[in-house]
Amino acid sequence: MSYKHPSELIPVIDKLGYVIEEELATVLYLMMKLDKPLLLEGNPGVGKTKIAYILSELLGYELIRLQCYEGLDVNNAIYEWNYQKQLLAIKIYENSQKSESEKEALIFGEEYLLKRPLLQAIDSGKRKVLLIDEIDRADEEFEAFLLELLSEFQISIPELGTIKADQTPIVVLTSNRTRELGDALKRRCLYHWVNYPSMEKEVKIIQKHIPEVELELAKQIADYVRQMRALKLDKAPGIAETIDWAKGIALMQNENEPLAKTLSCVLKSARDIEIVTKEILMSPFGGGEGDGN
Amino acid sequence: MDHYTDYSSFTEALIGFNQVARDYGFKVGLQCSQDSISTALAGLWMEKDLFEYALAALFCQAEEEKERFSMVFKRFWLEKGSRVQSISTYKNQKKIIKNARSVAVMMGIGKSDKTGDVEEGKNTSGANAKDVLKSTDFSQLNPKQSELLDDLSEQLVKEMSLRIRRKKKKARKGQINLGQSIRKNLQHGGTIIQLFKNRKKKEKYRLLILLDVSGSMDKYSYYLLKFLWTLRAHFKNIEVFAFSTVLKRITEQLSDKDIGIALQNVSMHATHWSSGTKIGECLTHFNENYAPYHLNGKTLTLVLSDGLDTGEPEVLSTAIQKIKLRSKKLIWLNPLKGMVGYQPIQEGMKAVLDDLDHFSSAHNLNSLLTLENILADA
Repeated sequence: MSYKHPSELIPVIDKLGYVIEEELATVLYLMMKLDKPLLLEGNPGVGKTKIAYILSELLGYELIRLQCYEGLDVNNAIYEWNYQKQLLAIKIYENSQKSESEKEALIFGEEYLLKRPLLQAIDSGKRKVLLIDEIDRADEEFEAFLLELLSEFQISIPELGTIKADQTPIVVLTSNRTRELGDALKRRCLYHWVNYPSMEKEVKIIQKHIPEVELELAKQIADYVRQMRALKLDKAPGIAETIDWAKGIALMQNENEPLAKTLSCVLKSARDIEIVTKEILMSPFGGGEGDGN
Repeated sequence: MDHYTDYSSFTEALIGFNQVARDYGFKVGLQCSQDSISTALAGLWMEKDLFEYALAALFCQAEEEKERFSMVFKRFWLEKGSRVQSISTYKNQKKIIKNARSVAVMMGIGKSDKTGDVEEGKNTSGANAKDVLKSTDFSQLNPKQSELLDDLSEQLVKEMSLRIRRKKKKARKGQINLGQSIRKNLQHGGTIIQLFKNRKKKEKYRLLILLDVSGSMDKYSYYLLKFLWTLRAHFKNIEVFAFSTVLKRITEQLSDKDIGIALQNVSMHATHWSSGTKIGECLTHFNENYAPYHLNGKTLTLVLSDGLDTGEPEVLSTAIQKIKLRSKKLIWLNPLKGMVGYQPIQEGMKAVLDDLDHFSSAHNLNSLLTLENILADA
């Protein structure tokens, strides 16, 4: 489907379960118009990866995900020959009448190729959404390789030749900014910083995912989470944690102190729970348990 | 700064804006300029908010740049004259825009006014501000900069530890174990289908830090301590001692995850803060009481001190020689070395120079980050 204005994206994406603001909708619209990769940076848990899934659903394209990690190399990202299968084939064809070159052509055919995400994304007639997740975790060498791929959308396999994308994939890269990415890679992408949602947006998210949570309670939860993010915690709560917490509170609404009892849904360490209990739940200025009920 | 009304058409104004953005430190290449024109062609130029969002996505490469971009955008497209007047003034020039792609080569027509505005832009650049902060001497930092430096050093040390971990991980990949490969592949009739590699033994190194907190180090010790706290959060096996006239182990006090509490713990524990300096005696005390437990062939020892010792140089020299003998490497980081024209002519420094593996400065964040190479080699 072709969209004529960013505002057209907002209700459609909303229906898919993602609360989107005008700025991000504009960037997604531009990405589709310019056919450029999109680099999303932001803290963990702000919903960067989800944007790629939403795009895939929105456009009806298959999503291919490459999860980056330390030591990710070409073999795991693009392709690898199935050595075991090749060796077995050599054994089988040992006594056959085929010439050496025929045997070689046979064992270096596509049947023996293990396609990894990047090759899968460009090697088929159908357009795909390619999610390169947490690119900051990959090494600089891999980043340099990616740069080449994003420019040409083609991959050379010595034994098979060059494979060029008929339809360039829609590329979304995410980064938690544990290291700065190279300028060259950034220049090739549209850039968008995904922030923690505003309180208003977080209330909407809570109500969208857990409709049984009333507006006042959703506001209270969003406010607590906002206060938690302002503290120096080991792990600041992301959107998923907010939703989990809201679900927990919804289940425990009739119990005493539901907020305190469900803190482990939103906080992931004993130290964080201790800090939040002291600084927010017990604080006369933090709202306190039951204030909003 | 130029204003869009200084140009005769929207296309020229857009190209002019690209030039202005470039002057303000944004990396606007030819492709980016063409994309900005395509953005206009996509119809976003008629709504200033959407146009700003779209150009920001094209021009910005970091979160910190967005505020500056917004300022440049508003000053170019909105200020001057009535704010009600907007870029939609150019609505009747759609035809001109249609030819815009071919005009991209006119990039050079934007007026480059490299005067005060430009300097202002450079000074407010997020990236430049970081660079300035990294190279500012600790003794010259104001409270605001100090706060910013805390966040920056935390981020950079985290990146540094990640890089070091990666280097070490790569270095741990071992050679092919032929014997095991043959044994394991017997089930395939001896054909080597799977290769087995030896794992290199992970070498554990220790980092020992001796921090001078005497009066002459006042301007630096606070920042150095904060840096050590950050370092401790990302590197295991670190031992930290603070010394002036006496020596105290402060590793445990620094271990709190809250920097405020950690510093408070240290100040309560090491009450000799800001007193005189007896480096030689303190290091001798270290050698007699702690060295057997903390020094071995895998220890990298860092001394953070200005070397302004009030004791006998021979005592310091002997203590340093003993530490050197028991450490893998001995490094002295001296904040004064960052000063122009500094010469290690103090008695204390002169006495130990020959025994050091490395003598470097420690007056700003940049100089501390050079530790990366030392830590990676450790």
